[in-house]
Amino acid sequence: MLSRVAENLYWMARYLERAENTARLINSTTQVLLDLPKEAQFGWDVVIKVAGLDQLFREHHPEADETSVIHFLILDERNPSAIVSCIRNARENSRTFREVLPREFWERINGLHLYIQRSAARTTQGRGERFEVLNEVIERRQSIVGLLAGCMSHDVAYQFIKLGRHIERADMTTRIVDVNSAVLLPGDGVVSRAVLERLWMGTLKALSAYQMYRRHIGVHVEGAGVVHFLLTDGQFPRSVVHCLGEVEGCLAVLPDSAQAMKALRTAWRRLEGMRFEDLAPVVLHDYLDQVQADLGAIHDAVRKQYFELYQVAPPTAVVVDEE
Amino acid sequence: MDLIPPNYFLTDAFDELIGPDGRPRPAAVPLFRSLESLEPGVLAARRDAVDAAIMAMGITFTVYSDGANIDRAWPFDIIPRVIARAEWERIEAGLKQRLTALNLFIDDLYNAQRIVKDGVFPLEVLEGSRNFREQCRGISPRFGVWAHVCGTDLVRDKDGTVYVLEDNLRVPSGVSYMLENRQLMKRLFPEVFQASDILPVDDYPTQLHDTLADLSPREGARPVVAVLTPGIYNSAYFEHSYLAQQMGAFLVEGSDLVVKDDDCVYMKTISGLRRVDVIYRRIDDDFLDPEAFRPDSVLGVAGLLRAWRAGRVGIANAPGAGVADDKVVYAFVPKMIRYYLGEDPIIPNVPSWLCMYDDQREYVLEHLDELVVKPANESGGYGMLIGPRASPAERARFADLIRENPRNYMAQPTLTISTAPTLVGDRLAPRHLDLRPFVLQSSRLYATTGGLTRVALREGSLIVNSSQGGGSKDTWIVDGEAH
Repeated sequence: MLSRVAENLYWMARYLERAENTARLINSTTQVLLDLPKEAQFGWDVVIKVAGLDQLFREHHPEADETSVIHFLILDERNPSAIVSCIRNARENSRTFREVLPREFWERINGLHLYIQRSAARTTQGRGERFEVLNEVIERRQSIVGLLAGCMSHDVAYQFIKLGRHIERADMTTRIVDVNSAVLLPGDGVVSRAVLERLWMGTLKALSAYQMYRRHIGVHVEGAGVVHFLLTDGQFPRSVVHCLGEVEGCLAVLPDSAQAMKALRTAWRRLEGMRFEDLAPVVLHDYLDQVQADLGAIHDAVRKQYFELYQVAPPTAVVVDEE
Repeated sequence: MDLIPPNYFLTDAFDELIGPDGRPRPAAVPLFRSLESLEPGVLAARRDAVDAAIMAMGITFTVYSDGANIDRAWPFDIIPRVIARAEWERIEAGLKQRLTALNLFIDDLYNAQRIVKDGVFPLEVLEGSRNFREQCRGISPRFGVWAHVCGTDLVRDKDGTVYVLEDNLRVPSGVSYMLENRQLMKRLFPEVFQASDILPVDDYPTQLHDTLADLSPREGARPVVAVLTPGIYNSAYFEHSYLAQQMGAFLVEGSDLVVKDDDCVYMKTISGLRRVDVIYRRIDDDFLDPEAFRPDSVLGVAGLLRAWRAGRVGIANAPGAGVADDKVVYAFVPKMIRYYLGEDPIIPNVPSWLCMYDDQREYVLEHLDELVVKPANESGGYGMLIGPRASPAERARFADLIRENPRNYMAQPTLTISTAPTLVGDRLAPRHLDLRPFVLQSSRLYATTGGLTRVALREGSLIVNSSQGGGSKDTWIVDGEAH
């Protein structure tokens, strides 16, 4: 496998995972907002903050109201993490390795790109329209994942896709959980138990985890249980620990993965040492930051081992027509 | 439904599918029978479905315009072009004959230059050749073959004669569209497809792979084959990735490769460097190797020519093969066929005047309003003068160009190239077209079954290049009577 292709596969998977999770985050936040009492300190700026985009956002927008945040997260190509940008990048990346993936893959990612280009404007025309479009983004993205799982050899190329997908997914899960630590930060006492339950329910729903949580943990939704579940449950596919397990599986197959494996073990051990009972929001936020940093260390190790042999040449726009 | 309108013919061009009596030619009868059995409106609806499928499949070519690269959908006409098998077999033999002679010629030029010494090919043409590479002198690649992949452009004049218009021996493109067109037709017109006995085209990737594998310097082991592309900005990037995919080859860019001190070529992989045996390069000589050719090239691989000369890597087409891809050299191909093979050319050349000869140049200058003038080394239809359609000022400008650099120009009569019915709105109308078959040579010879039919979609236009408003059609070789 060429280093350049491996890197493109890895980033393609990350972009798609990010697009899907951003869609999930927006949909669940919209739901949660409807249930919050007026005095709760929560606004769309929280979403921007947990996505790690507040600096870039402030460069372009004075105020974080729903319209500007939604536009920024879905449509704004100046934001490299916007859904349209992620999908465009994933599609552009896919061009460079069409030969290693099943050809239906290209048709679907191209279809997703054409769909979001056609429909992105609808997401600013009311919450109903927005929900529908984002849901379709999630569905189409799921169908791409399914196609790869079912129709692609689980070869080295597949491992890089899986690697990118799970590192990104674990990171996004911590960010979606972090929305709640942000909302609770200032006005801890104000928020009633019922509201808290709603908030955590929203988090679970954003990750399609509500049903699984109730089946495996219990009917009562409370913060410590949710955080525990989303970070350390070994069986739920969007939990951080589950993602780390998948990353471990990839590294076990890839050659020369000792350094990345070491970074993975560090992340794992730290996660296992975290205690979630009676968790103060500020501690939760620090925990999540730590997990994100550990995921970053795994990414760095992967990049150094597999991608650095290929030094990216300066972008060239030499246009030579063929005969 | 009667598909052929009574006033179908616009000019005296030969029509590929419809005879002068307004009835389908024999090979096209089953096609028309099944097309006419479709309900009204179905054709246009299918055309729209094809367009949607092309967008969805991302069958595109890239054009560079206003500083941005734009993906254009590949324009496709759903009415196939039909050629009778008997006629095709004669053409196929002619294509193989021609490539064989061309390869003997290239090998001769880089070695003994017998053809020059024997006075068949003039020294001054060789000396004026922009694509002759001194760096390739004295090399004789495996099988003596330099051009492993050739795209030969064929046209038919109004009397029905098929001519070779040009031989593309550098990086001919379009074969992926030939393959995709067939897929599209099978997907959208299964019933029309069943009505005729159409020969398949889909073994090309296998044939190309085997041709390339033939060039591997390492015996025994399964050779590592790579398609070398300039990258996603190239107009034919789609094709590069398509062929790599179909052949199970690696698609590499120059920056993925490195030539080490052992003169072997390696690619940079996740587990270190891995040796490459054969490179199907889709980069022009100029950009191939900054060490040997243009030093400012960022697309190529430093040392590639060295590796090839040392016999450590196979390159298709070989560096320097473009010497025969020159519209002046073209005029000598019939002589080459006689000289090297002792045979008469099966497919004739279009009659040509070479401006390097005083008498022929005078003729060209006096008849600029009737002729097509072509520069020796342009491709894609650029830099041409179509005399009858040019303004007096343009003709005057070309006269100056010719006088300044006679070796660089040749002229041909303006052919009335053939037409075929094309769906325009919901009616059939004649549009001009050519045919580009692809011919492969290594230890053996292979020609595609048919090739890529390129069609000028604008009424009356003779320019079929995709960069200039051309589209394409599926090309059917069917069992049946010749025209």
